[in-house]
Amino acid sequence: MTMLEVQNINCFYGNVQALWDVSLKVEEAEIVALLGANGAGKSTLLNTITGLVKKSSGHVFFMEQSLDGVPSHSVMEKGIAYLPEGGRVFPDMSIRENLEMGVYPKGLWKTRKAGIDRMFGLFPKLKERQKQMASTLSGGEKQMLAMARGLMSNPKLCLFDELSYGLAPIMVTEVFNIVKSLREQGITVLLVEQNVKQAMETADRAYVLENGSVALDGNCCDLIDNDYVKKAYLGL
Amino acid sequence: MSTVVNIVIYGIIMGGIYGLIAMGLTLQYGVGKILNVSHGEFLMLSAMTSCVLVKAGLHPLLSFVICLPAAFIIGFILNITIYRYLRKVSKDDATYESNAMLMSFGLYFILSNIGLKIWGTLSLSYQFFSYPVKIFGATIAVNRLISLGIAMVFIVAFFFFLNKTRMGKSIRATSQSATGAAMMGVKINRTMAICFGVGGLLAAAAGVLISMSFAPTAQIGLSNTVIALIVVVLGGMGSIPGAVLGGVLIGLVGQAVSFFDTSLVTVAYYLMIIILLLLRPKGLLGR
Repeated sequence: MTMLEVQNINCFYGNVQALWDVSLKVEEAEIVALLGANGAGKSTLLNTITGLVKKSSGHVFFMEQSLDGVPSHSVMEKGIAYLPEGGRVFPDMSIRENLEMGVYPKGLWKTRKAGIDRMFGLFPKLKERQKQMASTLSGGEKQMLAMARGLMSNPKLCLFDELSYGLAPIMVTEVFNIVKSLREQGITVLLVEQNVKQAMETADRAYVLENGSVALDGNCCDLIDNDYVKKAYLGL
Repeated sequence: MSTVVNIVIYGIIMGGIYGLIAMGLTLQYGVGKILNVSHGEFLMLSAMTSCVLVKAGLHPLLSFVICLPAAFIIGFILNITIYRYLRKVSKDDATYESNAMLMSFGLYFILSNIGLKIWGTLSLSYQFFSYPVKIFGATIAVNRLISLGIAMVFIVAFFFFLNKTRMGKSIRATSQSATGAAMMGVKINRTMAICFGVGGLLAAAAGVLISMSFAPTAQIGLSNTVIALIVVVLGGMGSIPGAVLGGVLIGLVGQAVSFFDTSLVTVAYYLMIIILLLLRPKGLLGR
C-alpha cells in the first residue's frame, strides 16, 4: 500500500514560492530520504504534509486518505509521527513526562504506561534517567528522547527532520541504526537529511530537492553512482 | 517577639494572596504571551462582586462558586475573540506580544472604569470571622488565617493540576515549545484560551480572599497588577514556583517595612527588584 502520496504541491512564503509542483510517494515499510541543500524546501515539504504550513495547491494522501485541510494536531492521531528539526523536546519536563506527551491525544493517553515501558526497552539510557529534566541531556540523548517520544504513539509513518543535525559522528551512526530497526518493525520512514552519504546508505529510495522542486529521484543504490549526485552532494 | 511573629504571619498571609495573583499573570504570559495589564481588574471586579453578593445574603465561601467560573469564562471568551484575532493579524510572535500588551491596556481602562462607574470610590466590606486569635503572642484576625488556608489550597491544587493532569502537562509543554506541543497533538489556541481563563480565575480567587479580610474599593486593580508584575519578575518570568516564592518574599518585605514606615513599602519593592536584576536578571527561579 502507498503510505504517503504527495501530489503537485505548490507553497508560498509571502511572495516567494518555496515549493514548485512537488510530488513524491512513499510505500509501506520503505525508508525514503529527502535530500537537498539548505533552503531547498525539505522542511517546508514536511511542514505542508503535517499541516503546519498551508500549501497553496496540491494534495497529500496518507494511506489513501486525504490529509488536505486536516489540522496539524489531528495528523498524528491518524498515525504520523513528526520529529521537527532539533527534536524540540520539552526542556523543563522530565524524560518520563516528555514521553507521555507523545501520546497526548485523548484516545492514546491511556496507553502511556505501556508505551513508556516499550521505549525504555528500545532506549535503555532513557530509563536510567527517567526522572531527570530533558534539559540535562546531551544533544544526542535529546534526539533519542525525541525519537522515543515520536514512537510512543505507535505511528505507521515517521517524518524525521535532520536527525543527524549537530550530533557527534558516533551518535549519527547510532541514530541511523535505530531508523533501520524501525523498518523491521514495519514502520515507514520519510527522512529529511543534509548528511547525504549517511542518508543514502540508510534509505531505499531518495528524492533530491533543488530550489523547491524535485531534481532527481530513484533508488539509493543507483543515485549513489550518479555523476551529478557524486559531484553536487558527495563531493567526489 | 510578638511583633516579629506578627510580621511573619501577616507577611505569609499576604504572600499567599500575591502568589495567587502572580501565578495567574505568569501563566498568561508564559503560555499565552500576553502581559496582562488588566489582570488586577479581574481581582477588583471579583472582590467587589463578592462583597455585593455577601451583602445580598450569600455565604462568603459560596461567592467563590460564582466569581471564579465567571472570571474563567470571561477570560476564555476574551482570549478566543480579541486575542486570537490579534494573533492572526500579527505578522510574528514578537509583534503579537506587543499588540497583546497594548490590548490588555485597553481592557484595563474598560474594566477599571466599569468598576468606577458602578462603585465610585465606595469601599465595601462584610463581617466574616472578624475576631482575633493569639498565636505565639501575636494577634491575628481569624478571617486572614482562613484566607491563607484557602490560598494554600488553591496553590497546591494548581500545582497538582499543572504537574499531574493531562491538561496541565499540555500547558507546560506549550509554554516550553509551542511548535513541539502542536506536533504532539496539543491544540495550541485552546490551551492559550484555557490559560488566560485560569489566569483570570486565580486573580478572582485572590479577589474573593481580599474581600474577606479587607475593605476593597474599585481602585485596587492596578496596584495589584503592579505587585503581581514585581512578584513575577522577582520569581522569574514564566516560573510558577517562582511566583509563589516571590509572592511570599514580597509579602514579608512589605509587612516588615510597613512596620517602620508604610510609605516606604513600594520603595523597598523596587529596591529589591533593582538588586535582583543586577545579581540575577532571570529572577530567583527563572530559566
